[in-house]
Amino acid sequence: MPRRKRFIVGGLIILAALSYIIYGGMQEAIVYFVTPSELKAKENTSTDKFLRMGGMVVKGSLQIDLKNLTYRFDLTDGSTSFPVFFRGVPPDLFTEGKGAVVEGRVRADGIFQATTIMAKHAEEYSPHADGQDGYPKSFVPGKELTNQ
Amino acid sequence: MTATLGHTAIIMAFLAALCGVVCPIVGSRPGLERYFSFTRTAILSQFVLVTLAAGALIYGLIATDFSIRYVVFNTTRGTPIYYRVTGLWGALEGSLLLWEWILIIFSGLVAWIYRHRQRETMPWVLMVFSIVSAFFLGVIAFVSNPFETISPVPLDGRGLNPLLEDANMMTHPPLLYAGFVGLTVPYAFAIAALIRGKLDEAWIVATRRWTIIAWFFLTAGNLVGAWWSYHVLGWGGYWAWDPVENAAFMPWLPATAFLHSVQVQERRRMLKVWNLSLIIIAFSLTIFGTFLTRSGIISSIHAFSSGPVGSVFLIFLAFVLLASFGLLAFRADLLKGQPELDSMVSRESAFLLNNIVLVSALFTIFLGTIFPLLSEAVAGTQVSVGAPYFNSVTVPLFLLLVFLMGVGPMIAWRRASWDNLKRNFLWPSVASLSLALALFFWRIRDFLPLLGFTLLAFVVFSILYDTGLALRARRRVAGEGILRGLVTLCRRNQRRYGGLVVHLGVVLIVLGIAGSMGYSTEREATLGLKEHLSIGRYLIQFEGLKGTQQPTHFRVEGSFRVFHQGTEWGILSPALKFFPTQQSPIGRAVHRSSPSEDIYLILSGFSDLNQNQATLKVLVRPLVVWIWIGGFVIALGTLLAILPLGKASPEEK
Repeated sequence: MPRRKRFIVGGLIILAALSYIIYGGMQEAIVYFVTPSELKAKENTSTDKFLRMGGMVVKGSLQIDLKNLTYRFDLTDGSTSFPVFFRGVPPDLFTEGKGAVVEGRVRADGIFQATTIMAKHAEEYSPHADGQDGYPKSFVPGKELTNQ
Repeated sequence: MTATLGHTAIIMAFLAALCGVVCPIVGSRPGLERYFSFTRTAILSQFVLVTLAAGALIYGLIATDFSIRYVVFNTTRGTPIYYRVTGLWGALEGSLLLWEWILIIFSGLVAWIYRHRQRETMPWVLMVFSIVSAFFLGVIAFVSNPFETISPVPLDGRGLNPLLEDANMMTHPPLLYAGFVGLTVPYAFAIAALIRGKLDEAWIVATRRWTIIAWFFLTAGNLVGAWWSYHVLGWGGYWAWDPVENAAFMPWLPATAFLHSVQVQERRRMLKVWNLSLIIIAFSLTIFGTFLTRSGIISSIHAFSSGPVGSVFLIFLAFVLLASFGLLAFRADLLKGQPELDSMVSRESAFLLNNIVLVSALFTIFLGTIFPLLSEAVAGTQVSVGAPYFNSVTVPLFLLLVFLMGVGPMIAWRRASWDNLKRNFLWPSVASLSLALALFFWRIRDFLPLLGFTLLAFVVFSILYDTGLALRARRRVAGEGILRGLVTLCRRNQRRYGGLVVHLGVVLIVLGIAGSMGYSTEREATLGLKEHLSIGRYLIQFEGLKGTQQPTHFRVEGSFRVFHQGTEWGILSPALKFFPTQQSPIGRAVHRSSPSEDIYLILSGFSDLNQNQATLKVLVRPLVVWIWIGGFVIALGTLLAILPLGKASPEEK
């Protein structure tokens, strides 16, 4: 084979192999982002798909079972809210009334089974609103700090 | 006062940088050659002025001069002195100044070291430095000014991000910046060679050591970052394929490729265009990384808040790419007529393959990093590309790379004969395959880990075997023993043996990654007093909580007694730190390392100090410690390669 042709064939083989592993990797790892309303709207079609859902944790909806480490709460985008179930330890920043992103699937009973919770970082660091220096008596991710 | 001094110094340095850009252009006119010498003056005066400015900001931080806005946001009166200094790179404005400072230190060193050599090239090299420096100084002076003042002057500062209060954060950013900046040196020499049309191997030979040093800083910066992530972020991992991590890692790939492919050019005068392209890409990626992380277009835990800085970097990136590749195209006819590959089975082609793999890895990581942007811009859908993508695409590529590490340094140049292959690779192959069989019968049955461990063993065996052969030859020729022979070999061929030691370090790192990726386990539970959980060979018992007031924060510590196969190992105390300036606590995970595995404890929550209940997460991560040991081995190998131990090689005289 002439040099040029060999070069092209080699390049094509490498490109094909590379596209294959990229395509395969993307199939596994692309996660779509939805809001609670979007998910409610197509609830019947998108079960069993791995998704990311972002919203606000509805105040008063959070139920924590510390012994079994289960968390139930509703996530809202302002108009619709969606029930979420999570087992494990959420991040420190996760709390009621704050933004959170959950990753997981919708179960057959219509509850979002989250495998991961990501809490939104505040853009700027800000002191506690009350500004007191008292130390916390307890800290459970998801609850407000209870100060002494 | 301090602010005025610093800002004035920056503006004067900016003007000096502009002079440094113009002088060589003027000097290249006939009769005006004397202007050439000003390029060095321009660099040296920038060096003095930027050092002055950096000193002013450091002084402001130490003296807590709260009339400077940057000081307010990065220190408090209670901050210990060393964290006041590290406040220099605690936020965007200061870290740009640090970058510029390191850049100008490198440029000054180059100007000094080559003051009597390379007379024709140096003005152009220094011009490239001045262009890059002028850009950074312009940004610091006019876009993102660390000397901005604030009034009224607050009584106390708001302090550094508590996550940055860690010894590793003192070293991580400077190391990484030194790596980025270090790549500017070979880039500047490459551009100077292109401008002058002298496209032989001179620029590569001149920058050989610089490239190795830059590569080492990049490697060290990334490793320390991983260590910080493992140590401080408290999630039990060391690498998350976060966009900012990718931004720091991406330049490493073409830099590594470049380090290998220049040897082909030195030896065989091949790959000229390729080498020039690699160094241009590596340099551009350092700028791209800053654009990515500072523009706020990608969300990441490491990103500072957004601002106009991102778009300025994007413009500069476009300029660098256009100008560099434009120059390359302009000189295309000087780069023609290179020798061709003699055979597919040769060191040249092993190095070429190594380059293709590294560039492919770069491409896949780049694509994964910017895919969310593309998707949102093109299709309007928000997606995220998670760690599984990066793992699944890079693992096969990196395994291939490991294999090449065992082949490349040993295979013959030009054309490897069958005898040569048999001589170098028969025994290493036999040894590593036997080991694979043993591992299989022991317990490792999964394909990927088994393949990984076999390839790693192959690299080690082929390095040991090759060195053994060379030692035997030394004994035959000069009657030297093993130790004496090793010293002679290393002195005679520092770069080769330094490189082999670095390869061994890389093997250890891959071993650590493979072990912790493939065989980690974790458990979490809420424990009452004296309750325990067990994981693997460990049993962990909760012993109580303790709260203490620290200078900057309140610390709640859980005590956990760790038993390993029935024997007590002592107490580990993960903690949560509550900073008055933060809304939620910062975890302080603890771990205990052993050669075979780490046990890693995270305190995730607690209920009432007196009620004594704690939520604990425990991870067992095999072989992690070898990643850090590998880092030290790489440092050793790098030193071996660059220290002036033996006779200087003839080209560098």
